[in-house]
Amino acid sequence: MEKGKISSLQMAMLMYPTIVATAILSVPGITATYAKQDLWLSPILASLIGFVTVYIAYKLHKLYPEQTVIQFSEQILGQFAGKVLGFLFLFFYIQTTGHMIRAYSEFIVGSFLFKTPISAIIVSMTLLCAFAVHGGLEVVGRVAQLFFPVFVIPIILLILLLIPDFEIGNILPILERGIMPPIKGAIVLSGWFAEFFLIIFLFPFLSDRRKGMKYGMITVVVAMMTLVVVNLVVFFVLGITTASQNYPLMNVSRYISYADFFENLESIVMAVWIIGAFVKASLFYYVTVLGTAQWLNLSDYRPIIWPIGILIVQFSFWSLPSTMALARFDFEAFPLWGLLTQTLIPLFLLLIAVARKRKQTGSKTS
Amino acid sequence: MLVKRKGSHFMKRILFLLSLSGLLLLLSGCWDRQEVNDLAIVTAAAIDKKGDNQVELSVQVFVPKSLGGGGGQGGGSEGGGTGKTTLVISQKGVNVAEALSMVQSELPRKVFWGQCKVFIFGEKAAKEGIQDHVDFLLRHPQPRERADVFVSEGKAKRLLELQTLLERDVSEAIREQAKLGVGMKVTLQDLGEMLASEAQAAALPYLKIVTEKSEEVSYQFVKNFATAVFKNDQMIGQISQRKTRGLLWLKNEVKDYTVTVKPKDTKGGISLNPISVHLDLIPQIQGEKWKMVVKVQTEGSVIQNGTNLDLNNPKSLKMIEKVYEEDIKKYIESTIGQVQHKLKADIVDFAKEFHRKYPEQWKQAEHRWEEVFPEVKVNIYVDANIQRQGNINESERRREEKR
Repeated sequence: MEKGKISSLQMAMLMYPTIVATAILSVPGITATYAKQDLWLSPILASLIGFVTVYIAYKLHKLYPEQTVIQFSEQILGQFAGKVLGFLFLFFYIQTTGHMIRAYSEFIVGSFLFKTPISAIIVSMTLLCAFAVHGGLEVVGRVAQLFFPVFVIPIILLILLLIPDFEIGNILPILERGIMPPIKGAIVLSGWFAEFFLIIFLFPFLSDRRKGMKYGMITVVVAMMTLVVVNLVVFFVLGITTASQNYPLMNVSRYISYADFFENLESIVMAVWIIGAFVKASLFYYVTVLGTAQWLNLSDYRPIIWPIGILIVQFSFWSLPSTMALARFDFEAFPLWGLLTQTLIPLFLLLIAVARKRKQTGSKTS
Repeated sequence: MLVKRKGSHFMKRILFLLSLSGLLLLLSGCWDRQEVNDLAIVTAAAIDKKGDNQVELSVQVFVPKSLGGGGGQGGGSEGGGTGKTTLVISQKGVNVAEALSMVQSELPRKVFWGQCKVFIFGEKAAKEGIQDHVDFLLRHPQPRERADVFVSEGKAKRLLELQTLLERDVSEAIREQAKLGVGMKVTLQDLGEMLASEAQAAALPYLKIVTEKSEEVSYQFVKNFATAVFKNDQMIGQISQRKTRGLLWLKNEVKDYTVTVKPKDTKGGISLNPISVHLDLIPQIQGEKWKMVVKVQTEGSVIQNGTNLDLNNPKSLKMIEKVYEEDIKKYIESTIGQVQHKLKADIVDFAKEFHRKYPEQWKQAEHRWEEVFPEVKVNIYVDANIQRQGNINESERRREEKR
């Protein structure tokens, strides 16, 4: 069905913005709510979930090297249970894509384009992603590679420009209220790291499969470090007020001021966010479309790009009446929901698969 | 056949180009298209209390016409547009947001906050609490976190109506003055942090209108006069200009500042400019006693020497350094004395220092910090060095005496 191949480096460049783009904007505020000055510890703890998820995905891939999770869950669980699980995965990805496109649009409408109807932004982003998905995995991979520097360099620039405003003492005292607050922050954040499970859809299409695991792990490390640095930078500048900001990174970027005219750099954050959100949404969209086609045993995934797109747009509105509801979902439901579908269920799949293989080889030898 | 195929290819290209140029239409931003000539650019805003439950919001709006749009040099002499560069509009409302909507109804252009870099609270509004107003400023996406916040003596609106000679308008004058470091400089972000801090105290620069009178003209200008002290979000008092200097030392914000000291046994005084300042706040808890060690390290240069002391002589240099240290110490002591015992508001943020070093003890003192703070013993150590003496190496007085 998918004949394109991507390199593992492209995979890393695809996964990095997928995790980081949405996280850098809102995560400092979310983790600061729980962990206060220890917010930088949360990404480190949460990255454990990332490592575990990548490991599970790789082990599953080793057992079924040519297939994605939608296909091999039928082999592991049997056809009926496999289809039900496949449906759950697809529902999760459609819903999450819709959710993240909504979050992207809320930021744009709430901070920059106040009067633009949100549907215009949601639809235009979905349309753009649809074109990328139509091009196939290779195109999505290339786009990610192309945008990678445009995504990373402004972030580095932003951090460097903020150095004069740092108040490093802000993070003291370390672990004042014990380890629990950073763990609470990490639980929320683990929803993001669980998204590394997407990698299972990319492994079969790697041109250099041996490096897949290595690059997956590197991506987790780099994403974790990025979040630690961003959390620290934001907290150095904003202090305790970080917790009350919806988009702390944007507030911080507005704070940059050099020589009276080099200021108001929030447009950089907006540009980074749009690029990151585009890569993220495209990957999610692609995975959903590919998975659905495999679930329905279609010979090509292109005909269902449009119907899925409409579903994604719908899901970006359904049950999300306001930004507050969106944030509540991020805080309360998503950590469990994301962790369950992307880490725990795959873990069970892996356990069953290993047990089955053992039984098979056991019966063969006897 | 071949020609036909070529033709369709050509048509395809044309269509592609057309659809590409169609994208240009999207670049303007559609719904959020905002032309500069549709904006009323606010340069400063003042928030006052009016009557019992009303807030008066005054905005100073920039008048683009006054710059003689494209007229160039000629505009100045003919005084185009009667020379007024700004327009002040004020309206009442239950809160700032409502007052703003009333202001908007009086303007033909959309109010734009992005360039507003000065917010002034009237004294009465400050005394009744500013939290409510700050909520609006931090929540609204347009006002900048880097904007400066002030408190004014009396009504803040009067400040906006002043004419300035040196700068384009009052907001510019106020901001530039704050930047020089004569008094405190507090940004909206700083204020938000102060209001959320454990010290539960805040300090804002206090502005006053001063009149300079000569025989022919009298000229009014705004002076960054003193410091307004807040407890929680209510202004409870102020610190004089003299003591504000001590506060600047404690906040490590000393910038443009001249110290004049009078050594004993000599005539005249000697003036110094601090060049670099290094401040250490070291909290100490011994048993039940809370102590704060304030260490100031500063380097200065001599800018006027009216004494007969020879600066090239290490002995007299030491002596001057000693007097310089004493003087700085005196400033800081008098400020701390007032802050600790009279106002009882921790505007220096000792709370933060104690919290960072002694989290355990802090937890017990946290809720009664108001009682603990005045009891904190403060030890001040100043280490001053004189680095340079300017362009001449001998004082005029000394030369005279030598002769």
